[in-house]
Amino acid sequence: MPENTCCVCGEPGVHSLGGRWFCERHHQTATRERRGAWRSNLGLILALVVFVGLVYAVDSFVQPAFTPSTLLLTGVLLAIVPALIWLGVFYQQDRLEPEPKGFVLGVFLLGALLAAAVGIPLVENVFRVSDWLYADTLTTILGGILVVGFAQEFLKYAAVRYSMYNSAEFDESTDGVVYATAAGLGYATVLNVMFVVQNGGVDLGLGVIRMAVVALAQAGFAGITGYFLGRAKFEHESIWWMPLGITLAAVANGLFNWVRGEVTRGGVSLSGGAANPWSGLILAAVVAFICLGAVSWLIHRNVKSALAAK
Amino acid sequence: MNTSKLSLGDRYAEIAVIIVTLVALLAGWLYMGSVESRTLPFDTNGIKASVPVGWIQSEPGGDVLVQVRQRASAGFQTEYMVIQQPLTAESGLNEVVSLLTIRYGQELTAFRVLSQQAVTVGGRDAYEVSYAYVEADPNISHLDLPVVVRGLDYIFLNGEKAVIATYRASEAEYQGGLAAFLRFLHSLQF
Repeated sequence: MPENTCCVCGEPGVHSLGGRWFCERHHQTATRERRGAWRSNLGLILALVVFVGLVYAVDSFVQPAFTPSTLLLTGVLLAIVPALIWLGVFYQQDRLEPEPKGFVLGVFLLGALLAAAVGIPLVENVFRVSDWLYADTLTTILGGILVVGFAQEFLKYAAVRYSMYNSAEFDESTDGVVYATAAGLGYATVLNVMFVVQNGGVDLGLGVIRMAVVALAQAGFAGITGYFLGRAKFEHESIWWMPLGITLAAVANGLFNWVRGEVTRGGVSLSGGAANPWSGLILAAVVAFICLGAVSWLIHRNVKSALAAK
Repeated sequence: MNTSKLSLGDRYAEIAVIIVTLVALLAGWLYMGSVESRTLPFDTNGIKASVPVGWIQSEPGGDVLVQVRQRASAGFQTEYMVIQQPLTAESGLNEVVSLLTIRYGQELTAFRVLSQQAVTVGGRDAYEVSYAYVEADPNISHLDLPVVVRGLDYIFLNGEKAVIATYRASEAEYQGGLAAFLRFLHSLQF
């Protein structure tokens, strides 16, 4: 990047911030704090928990009867719901300075495409994780970080880094979290759809819990990667900054999978599901809250210190 | 859409991400290899062998001395089994093999012997029988298609008993798991 040119649009830079140059307009956007992103992530967590409760209640009281094809179709629709909830809440919160809908949807689809074309085949077919990952605790943690964590988090990073990152629309540090969350939810949607299709449908109550857990976890870990991406774009960071971000997200991913296995392990019910799935949902909601809350706080702190230095 | 240009530092950072990810995946691959080659010793009725760690081990019962299955979320679970059968006074290796294939023919769906030959395993005479059959899930509400299973038996004579070491895997997994089974076979001591 030539000296003194805006790191967002390439125009002549008039302000320097964190070792990067900005034009007047992008200096304003880079130091703007978008509260809507945090609220939409919080909305995703709350709305998903409410949605799961509703579906579970309907399943328990109505006990709907499904044919194999309607069961499959219902499962696929349920798999898409978390992404729809997030997009809905996000656009409600983002009316003042909206991100282009097409770009957010594009990154979501790119995350989904990378999951289907690379992530899932790599983890399931090349590394065959179901054959060895659960051999013992150490293996579950190490394999979960090195294989599942790194594969998933790198692909979510790639979905943003090689699409929106160099765009003029990526003009706020919060955008890293927004686009990475979209990629994470795309990844989660494909994981859930594949789960439904491979099992020929899912038990409505237990299935919706699993889908919410996957969506919350993928969104939360993508938020970590997104924060590092945002900082890398708007501040001059050292070479290890982005690898550190991916590594942190991968470690969180691997540890979460192990802890989820531990807390949901309570025996197996006659319907074939884990006997304690609610604890998995609570864990995922807490993890997503902590991850997304922490990155929002860090962005808030960065913006505050940038404004103080003005 | 792309407007900003990358600095040299950004390029190095981008390459660093790729390198770190590749190193992590390579470490994962090596770790996977070490996990899959880990074994646990078993010793039942004077027969010793090393079974893979993390596989589901069934309690010995009847003629079956050991039966281990690989954990798999779906499909046929790859299986190793060691059976010990008493021999009648006049039965030799050929009779044991004939009786075994007749029994498989009765018990297994669409059973076919693919090849059979006398071999030497670790200096012991044995008989190798390669076969295939169709495994249909007994749960008729399950949506999986029936699976073609490949089997490989090694039959040894051990005094007044026959020892049969069996490997069974789905057609797709068979070749990939064969080397590990042969390690298991060579760990057999009796």
